[in-house]
Amino acid sequence: MSTVSENYVPGHAAAAPQAGAVKLTMVLSGAVFALMMAFGLLMRAAQGQWIDLDPALFYQLLTAHGAGMVGTAALSGAAIMWYFCGRHLVLSGGIFWAFLGLFLLGVVLILGAIFIGGYGGAWTFLFPLPALSGGAWEAGAAAAFMLGYTAIGVGFLLYYLELGRRIHARYGSLVRALGWNLILGREDNDPPPPAIVAAAAVTIFNSIGIILGAAVLVASLVHLLVPGFEVDALLAKNLIYFFGHVFINASIYMAVTAVYEILPEYTGKPWKSNRLFAIAWNAVLIFVMAVYWHHLLQDVVMPPWMLVVGQLVSYFSGIPLIAVTAFSTFLYVRGSRMTWDLASSLLVLSVAGWSVGSVPASIDGMISVNKVMHNTMWVPGHFHTYLLLGEVAMAFGFMAWLVRGKTISQMDGLDRAAFVTYLAGAVGFVTVFLFSGAASIPRRWAVHYEEWLSHDRIGTLFGGLVVLGTLVFVLRFAARLGRREG
Amino acid sequence: MQPVVLIISLILMAALSAVFVAAARASRGPAPGPGASAKRSGLIWVMTILGVIVSVASLRDWPHALAGTGDALEVNVSGGQWWWDIDTTEIPAGKPVNFNVTTEDVTHGMGIYDSSLTLLTQVQAIPGYTTQITYTFEEPGSYQILCMEFCGVAHHDMVNEFEVIAAEG
Repeated sequence: MSTVSENYVPGHAAAAPQAGAVKLTMVLSGAVFALMMAFGLLMRAAQGQWIDLDPALFYQLLTAHGAGMVGTAALSGAAIMWYFCGRHLVLSGGIFWAFLGLFLLGVVLILGAIFIGGYGGAWTFLFPLPALSGGAWEAGAAAAFMLGYTAIGVGFLLYYLELGRRIHARYGSLVRALGWNLILGREDNDPPPPAIVAAAAVTIFNSIGIILGAAVLVASLVHLLVPGFEVDALLAKNLIYFFGHVFINASIYMAVTAVYEILPEYTGKPWKSNRLFAIAWNAVLIFVMAVYWHHLLQDVVMPPWMLVVGQLVSYFSGIPLIAVTAFSTFLYVRGSRMTWDLASSLLVLSVAGWSVGSVPASIDGMISVNKVMHNTMWVPGHFHTYLLLGEVAMAFGFMAWLVRGKTISQMDGLDRAAFVTYLAGAVGFVTVFLFSGAASIPRRWAVHYEEWLSHDRIGTLFGGLVVLGTLVFVLRFAARLGRREG
Repeated sequence: MQPVVLIISLILMAALSAVFVAAARASRGPAPGPGASAKRSGLIWVMTILGVIVSVASLRDWPHALAGTGDALEVNVSGGQWWWDIDTTEIPAGKPVNFNVTTEDVTHGMGIYDSSLTLLTQVQAIPGYTTQITYTFEEPGSYQILCMEFCGVAHHDMVNEFEVIAAEG
């Protein structure tokens, strides 16, 4: 057993503004993560022909799984960042409740669209697929799905408006909050802490992403009502992937604030902003918006320079992640004598999973490789790596920390079993996806050929372990929420 | 190409994972020394130089380059929910083929698979556009076109095939 280091006094650790709202959000996030993983497990079992799923239902589950996981990753990331920004800013609780309410409204609309209306056009709602279902769903179901997205987007814009306004009030400008005094070597007696630098960057790029997403959502909705209203499909695809890429990346960049704020309690070394940290985050601000073209590498009518930028930024965006975030984690952990409980283990794992997941993503970002890997199982292979072992691990680590109490203890038997089960399941699950991608198995196919079944069945077994570990994490969190700190 | 990509990826992923495991174990060891900053700078330089080399090597020959129309066979492929139409059923081996790909409804992805179900190349079919790729088939045999972009409830049924025949002479 060990306790907080003598060297580090967490000055704001006692402050927990709106902790109740954040805890409720994390309970909801955990429950939805578990449900969406169960949907994923059903899909893998159906592909392996262990269960029989009608293709229409398979694609509805695919749509729910995609929208649900992306949305919940963002919801949990937003709750984490809100919680830690609350240590440095005075934030309005009403805005968070409005954000959560709009999110839940969106969830109701999306679930209704899918499981009542039959919508199964995937979370990417690629224009004009929502309007051309081939009889699988009506325009009203597609409209409800997109109105659900709209409600969630409005909630996020409110969230970022509040954050941006409070950051501006506290630090004078978003530029200063992005650490430009540190970058330029100017004196700053009150430099922004890492969580604020992250919040400033995410506020900027995710607001832009959501606004562009809203533009294509509105265009798609008008197209549903007035089929004669045409939108250029390639322009719509650019807008959708800009929004989608930025939004899912924002979820990780919001959740990483848990690493910045919680790990110092274990290592005894505060995670401080410095010049390199600020440069890295400003690079992220640009890279995360410039890299989305790597989703369009097989859209050969795109201007070639955009595809080249997509390839280059795919690779170079790994530098701030590996050389700054991951390398800093090594330095903080090394020689720290830290105690490995569930929270600290999951948080360090999350940085590892995020970093490791960038490898197959960067390689797939090469145009010549993408020609034979794009839209194969390779793609879910890499994004499940940095979601299951990255963002979701950050969320579970934060949840474990929320109910940890003041004393830091080594993992007990159940925690250790759940951690090992989740880790083994996730590593196996994503590795099977990568092997399947290398075997050219296309993604998003409801029915698989005989040659592919062994992949699907092994993946299903590992997926079962992931669900099992998740259930323990979520139930443990819910059970401990009501207990008094000790 | 796929096995090479898989092996390189798994080696790099395993190496990075091993570094994290070593870092976790080093929590009981000595604190980082004054050389850590230099190591980080070195890592940034290595990643940057490696990135420049790989980028130049992989982009020097444009991956989407098309064969000249005089040298290549032109094949038109159109897609729709949920079918592929190919304007020829036999393609000679050894001769570059320019595939001109269109769609009548939503976005599809034309993926060309050989008889062992290995993906050889692909291109997106985008409403309102004609997309083009060049591919040269080396081996005669049966080939399939599979849809690579989710396009609705029968996406997985969107399959067609063609034959590649031995070149004359």
